[in-house]
Amino acid sequence: MTIRSTRLHKGAILAAALASLVHAMPAQAEDIPTIRVGWTMPGEDSKYWMMKRPEKFEALGKTYNVEWVQFQGTAPMVQAMIAGALDCSTQGALSLANGHLQGGLNSYVVASHLGTAPDSFSPYWAVAEDSEVKTGADLKGKTVGINVLGSGLYGQLYLYLKAAGLDPQKDIKLVETGFPGSEDALRAARVDAAVMNQPFAAKAEAKGGIRKLFTINDVTPNSLQIFEVCRKDFVDENPELAANYVRDLTRGMDMALADRAESIKVASEVTKAPAEVLDGFYMKDGQDFERAPGAAVDFKVLQAMLDLYHDAGMIPAKLDAESFHHAQIAAPLN
Amino acid sequence: MSRHLPSICAGLVLLLMWQLAHLSFGLSGLPGPMAAFAALPELISDADALYDIGQSLQRMAAGYLLAAAFGISFGLLMGTSPLAERLLNPLIMMIYPIPKAALMPILMIWLGIGDMSKILVIFLGSSLPIIYHSWQGGRSVSQIVVWSAAAMGMNRAQRLFRIVLPAALPEIFIGLRTGLILALITMVVSEIVARSNGIGNLLFNSMDMALYDRMFAAIIIIAAMGYALDLIFEAIRRRFLRWSDQQDQIQVAVG
Repeated sequence: MTIRSTRLHKGAILAAALASLVHAMPAQAEDIPTIRVGWTMPGEDSKYWMMKRPEKFEALGKTYNVEWVQFQGTAPMVQAMIAGALDCSTQGALSLANGHLQGGLNSYVVASHLGTAPDSFSPYWAVAEDSEVKTGADLKGKTVGINVLGSGLYGQLYLYLKAAGLDPQKDIKLVETGFPGSEDALRAARVDAAVMNQPFAAKAEAKGGIRKLFTINDVTPNSLQIFEVCRKDFVDENPELAANYVRDLTRGMDMALADRAESIKVASEVTKAPAEVLDGFYMKDGQDFERAPGAAVDFKVLQAMLDLYHDAGMIPAKLDAESFHHAQIAAPLN
Repeated sequence: MSRHLPSICAGLVLLLMWQLAHLSFGLSGLPGPMAAFAALPELISDADALYDIGQSLQRMAAGYLLAAAFGISFGLLMGTSPLAERLLNPLIMMIYPIPKAALMPILMIWLGIGDMSKILVIFLGSSLPIIYHSWQGGRSVSQIVVWSAAAMGMNRAQRLFRIVLPAALPEIFIGLRTGLILALITMVVSEIVARSNGIGNLLFNSMDMALYDRMFAAIIIIAAMGYALDLIFEAIRRRFLRWSDQQDQIQVAVG
């Protein structure tokens, strides 16, 4: 045997070994389907538990995997779902409606993440402590901040202004401040009223000098803020896979609600916010949003929100919330 | 020490202005430099944070190297061929002002939400100054020298690699330096919309959680990365342009 043929022989053995290794390694992963999921922060506790405590879930990592992709807000997640780049993601009622009406995105609402209830925290508009603005009517001619133009929160602002006898389109100047910039915009007098959400609201309240003008609960006592949505074609083609995912969302939410201390730890690991900072408001009565047991979705509340957006001219057509409701695959699923 | 004194003084002035702005405005979103620096050790000792920085730098390197290879070739073609210049110049001028980050949602739809769309944004963001300066570098080469080389028997490839490219190098390096900083900027911006990892995790997650000291610590890390990359770049440039009569420092041309 020549040196050349020996080298070839060794090379062939090495290539065969590598090929078998390469073939063997993904075999396990190939057997388990992967769901591509978009997420954002804060407040998606069931997902945070799935990311950081996967061993607590029966199906996750065993019958399916999740590829987590973080997004800045819900609107780009709708685009990614329309493009087929995501199977499931977090959405709000307005992004769900716009995605359906303008992007042709057909989807199912499968679980809830955060909502508001009469005794929970709800986003609110604040004014400076010494502001002359005491009622909605006082906002006439004023500059009002909002997290993003076209935000779902505009629906409640719209109703509030209408109830105060104002024309929401003409009587105020609406400017985009973002949640992070809201407090500073108010304190620097760049806006007369600013929208507040957690965790920024807790920080601003601790500093003082602001007062609530109205909360969205004053306008709509119950609301769904963010919830989980899966593409219709994905669910219809993979019902068992989608059901496993929703089952784990249900379990994740129940574990989060059962153990606040651990949930804060989990949220801290995801958000990198110190646990002691989260402890001030996270999952605290009156200080944080409502989390529904079992991540159940209240489709009546969803319907009310869709109607509100239509009445406010934010969506061009009426929508039936039940059209986003899968008969079997919706939390709570055990 | 005296060589670095101006840089140290500039840094101190910047910190002083930052502290003054913090004290004057009293905004939650603008912590003082002390608070931001105090958050640094925790950030750089976090294995996840270092992984995020590494992932971003990998994407930036891929986008920038592609931009350098493409930009120099494209620019020299424009600089040496009047036909290519007439054809491509309007195209470059139209693409130049487009904010590349605004393309992110569209690229995400075409290329998915993985690394490809981010690398493409970095490539687009950093390639245009490289093209422009390579083009100008190619144009500045004296035609008499090129003709003389041709008369001496050099073929087209020899003229390109032995005459045009070396003569255009000082200008090309200006484009590469500007492109490097733009690559760093677009690297951060490319992670605003969607991300699985990267320095955007440090920056935008801190903003979302109102952790402003941590957010500014991440900005300090990005600034330090920019400074370090520029020092490395300058060392490489000096090595390549030892022969050049240019001054030691080249100016960044922001296009």
